[in-house]
Amino acid sequence: MKVLDRLEEWLIAALMGGATLIIFLSVLHRYLAATAIPGVQDWMLQLNFSWAQELCIIMFVWMCKFGAAYGVRTGIHVGVDVLVNRLGPTARRRTLLFGLLAGALFTGSIALLGAHFVWDNGARYAFLHVLGIEGAGFEGPTTPDLEWPTWAVYSAIPLGSSLMCLRFLQVAWSFARTGELPRHDPTHVEGVQDDVPLVGEALAEGEQRERREGPDGGARP
Amino acid sequence: MNAAFIFGLLIALMLTGMPISISLGLTVLTFILTMTQVPLESVALKLFTGIEKWEIMAIPFFILAGNFLTHGGVARRMINFATSLVGHFHGGLALASILACAMFALVCGSSVATVVAIGSIVLPAMVAHGYPMRFGAGVIITAGSLGILMLPSIPKVIYAISTNTSIGALFVAGLLPGSLLTLMLCGVTWYIARRNNYPRMGRASWLQRLNFFRKSVWGLMLVVIIVGGIYSGIFTATEAAAMAAVYSFFVAIFVYKDLSLKQVPKVLRDSANMSAMLLYIITNAVLFSFVLANENMPHRLAEWLLGMDLGQTGFLLVVNLILLGAGNFMDPSSIILIMAPIFFPAAVQLGINPVHFGILIDVNMEVGLCHPPVGLNLYVASGISKLGITELTKAVLPWLITMLVFLVIVTYWPWLTLVVPRAMHMM
Repeated sequence: MKVLDRLEEWLIAALMGGATLIIFLSVLHRYLAATAIPGVQDWMLQLNFSWAQELCIIMFVWMCKFGAAYGVRTGIHVGVDVLVNRLGPTARRRTLLFGLLAGALFTGSIALLGAHFVWDNGARYAFLHVLGIEGAGFEGPTTPDLEWPTWAVYSAIPLGSSLMCLRFLQVAWSFARTGELPRHDPTHVEGVQDDVPLVGEALAEGEQRERREGPDGGARP
Repeated sequence: MNAAFIFGLLIALMLTGMPISISLGLTVLTFILTMTQVPLESVALKLFTGIEKWEIMAIPFFILAGNFLTHGGVARRMINFATSLVGHFHGGLALASILACAMFALVCGSSVATVVAIGSIVLPAMVAHGYPMRFGAGVIITAGSLGILMLPSIPKVIYAISTNTSIGALFVAGLLPGSLLTLMLCGVTWYIARRNNYPRMGRASWLQRLNFFRKSVWGLMLVVIIVGGIYSGIFTATEAAAMAAVYSFFVAIFVYKDLSLKQVPKVLRDSANMSAMLLYIITNAVLFSFVLANENMPHRLAEWLLGMDLGQTGFLLVVNLILLGAGNFMDPSSIILIMAPIFFPAAVQLGINPVHFGILIDVNMEVGLCHPPVGLNLYVASGISKLGITELTKAVLPWLITMLVFLVIVTYWPWLTLVVPRAMHMM
């Protein structure tokens, strides 16, 4: 489990950073290839970045599917809790548990549907091809720029959704046992201590100014 | 009948407190299974293709840029600059924090990030200067909502995606209304501060102002990158967002050095977490509106709304009231994703400009962010100030009323929103 957790965190951070870098490089490339710097331009023209946009989209969709699973664990998925919080403890517990299980049901069925779709659209062909059996199913379409098989790209749906389903079950299980939900706390702000006031540079600068200008030019009570 | 079933099920599921994305998805699954012949596998496919749009990818990039800006010391330098400009007026530090929020909003697309970035520095400083915490919190909560009105804004991107409106035009359309709201908030703040005789700071010399401006210019440069880039056609909105992310990373790490390289993976992970949540709602909302469209519902709803013969004025009033009401239950992204496709066809038929309609929705979302029970700005400010929600709700009232007045102005004065994008030939 620990390994899976780390892998998930590492994967989404890497996808986020990677996609940003790729788009940055592709924009840079577009302008370097258009400006006449001897040597650089020729080299740039040889590189082809037309796939960058497609790859970025694929990376973000993967990030979305796995990040959504991570989000179940961190409790970031927002719901309407106005009514639930007014219920009595038992009813509240039951409703929340129902919500979590409904989440597992939805992601579970999406995982199944997605797996079925991916299997029919080329995965079966690819697997059997590796095993040396030809002619079962068809090869399936490829993506327009990268020409990757779409079944591989779309497998984010079954993989991500099953992980998300697992996370929902995990959270439901621990909620049923301990009554605690993971909560993403947007109200927790880093860098704010509890009692020591964090005095910004603005304040320090202001005071310095007042001292310099004397009591007359400074703050009036 | 079908419409009643879909919306009834959706509302029932939502009220159980399950994630909005899941209730949207389950509604669609149930509906498709029981009442239509749409093949189920198309649902799985839609979950991928639903967000396969290049424009949507601006959202994770803007979130990443916002996180780098928040943790990277950009806010602090903007506050210093703003303080040097207006610190010597009554309630100077409060006015400065509004101005700093407006500056930060120019480069950041989220209002919660704006509250965190500016509020966590300014609120303690205000208390140390002798302002009541309630006053400061009220100012920050409302001024922070400028984050989604000025230039880049995540709700605007979502609106643009669900209605096919130009992202660039929506961005610049918020500029003038945002400035007006800044002025109005400053006016109220100044009045309250003068009546209560809140402290003033020393007047800064022009040299000092220039100095503070020089220090904050790295952050403000992002405006040039975003607006200039989109306007001149150097980048698309999504590429501009990616450039903003790379640029703010560069400024935070190498120029201001407020963030160390070691913290970068955490920033990346937090941004990915937040973006995945939003993208997941978007995917399911796309699925939902696909089913609605399949049943021809937006069209029928538009006809029904038009049949009531409200006229433009009445229609806008109804939309405002519904959106303000929805702001009591849901977060802005979900509201826009569910409501915008429903109201948009009717609005267009009534001759309301799509950009104006988008800004109107945006301002409604701002109001929703500033009051309970779901106003996120309020909760974040409560986290910083350690004040209870009830007390903050009272504290925010003068500015909240100002925002409602502002909403009326924006609704019935389209010129205010449309003049800038028209002058820039973006629409």
